[in-house]
Amino acid sequence: MGMRTAFCFDVDGTLTTTEILPCIAADLDISEEMATLTRATMDGVIAFEASFRLRVAILGQVPVRRVQSIVSSVPLDSRILEFIQNRRDQCFLMTGNLDQWLEPVVAKAGCRAFSSEAAVSEGRIRVKSILDKGAAIAEVRASGLFDRIVAVGDGANDCAMLDAADTPIAFGGVHPPIAEVVRRSHYVINEGGALCRLLSML
Amino acid sequence: MGMPKAMIAVGGKSLLSRMLAAVGDHAQSIHVVIGYREEMILEECARNHPHVVLVRNPDFRSTNTAHSYAVGAAHLRGKTAFIDGDLLFELGSLREFFQAAAAVDVLVGVTRAKSDTAVFASVRPGKDGPSILSFSRGERSDHEWANVVSGPADLMVGAKGYVFEHLGPRLPCRAQEIDLVEVDTADDLARVREYALQKGL
Repeated sequence: MGMRTAFCFDVDGTLTTTEILPCIAADLDISEEMATLTRATMDGVIAFEASFRLRVAILGQVPVRRVQSIVSSVPLDSRILEFIQNRRDQCFLMTGNLDQWLEPVVAKAGCRAFSSEAAVSEGRIRVKSILDKGAAIAEVRASGLFDRIVAVGDGANDCAMLDAADTPIAFGGVHPPIAEVVRRSHYVINEGGALCRLLSML
Repeated sequence: MGMPKAMIAVGGKSLLSRMLAAVGDHAQSIHVVIGYREEMILEECARNHPHVVLVRNPDFRSTNTAHSYAVGAAHLRGKTAFIDGDLLFELGSLREFFQAAAAVDVLVGVTRAKSDTAVFASVRPGKDGPSILSFSRGERSDHEWANVVSGPADLMVGAKGYVFEHLGPRLPCRAQEIDLVEVDTADDLARVREYALQKGL
């Protein structure tokens, strides 16, 4: 029997071909500001958790159903999506984004997702817990179903995931992976097609 | 030179860009192994060659080319060409190499001896094509090792020394002459640029 491999993907800027939060922010006409905050967070200038809570506090003004409608129209990398859909039991989405917001993406992918958790009360969304991607990888490993874990990411909050994986991959399909991600990775890939060719060979 | 030799510009294009353009039509997948000043190669590939897989060799300071080849080909399957990044090819000659490589298990690239630090190659003509009998640093011959070889993806697994030393136990095997120049030292640059002009590259 061959090696059983789990493939773990960051979502924003890896599976999606644009960052999600600035798309939601467009509804409030603050897309540029949100993109700047998102970029600074990806680069590790601002700690992910504090930045994410702030961004949720701002974007929480947009009703959850409206957010889901926006998220459902965010474009996905068709090759990565196809790779996941063909291996649903082996693939996992790893996202710091909120479970309630990302439902449409998770439904399209059709695989298990590890995400930050939200609760809605009195019409407002609030963060219940923020995903530790390193712990999520540990959970996949602890399942005993896989001999090897491949992880693909691009930003500062992917570092723990890449550290915990056996084969870390830096992905620059949307924007260049940050230096800390490259430094942890065995491979650097800038295109979904090239990424999936490699993943198919592993 | 302060940069990877593959990033040296000849006629306004890096050797790497020229190499990737030359190899592109012949390969299903291209892996570029990076080490010294990897950020330069990362930027070049992100901008101009997003289809390649960049394979990091963080141990580049303490390992040699054979190790980089093994790292780069770690998950590849089937026929694999191993090519140094500091070469400039005459394109027709490279195409002929790939065509010949498809028909034999291992094909060693040789070129007309011209470099100051040549590893000479003893080549014998044959009815199916030339064969390489041996490599030698001291014994001069008309050909030298071209730093190009094709074979199975695991060809470089376990290589300890130089690539040509690792190939030694496989000799004799088929050889193919390639028209190319190599950048070994800063002094080679003028020669390489003149070569590019001559060949219309």
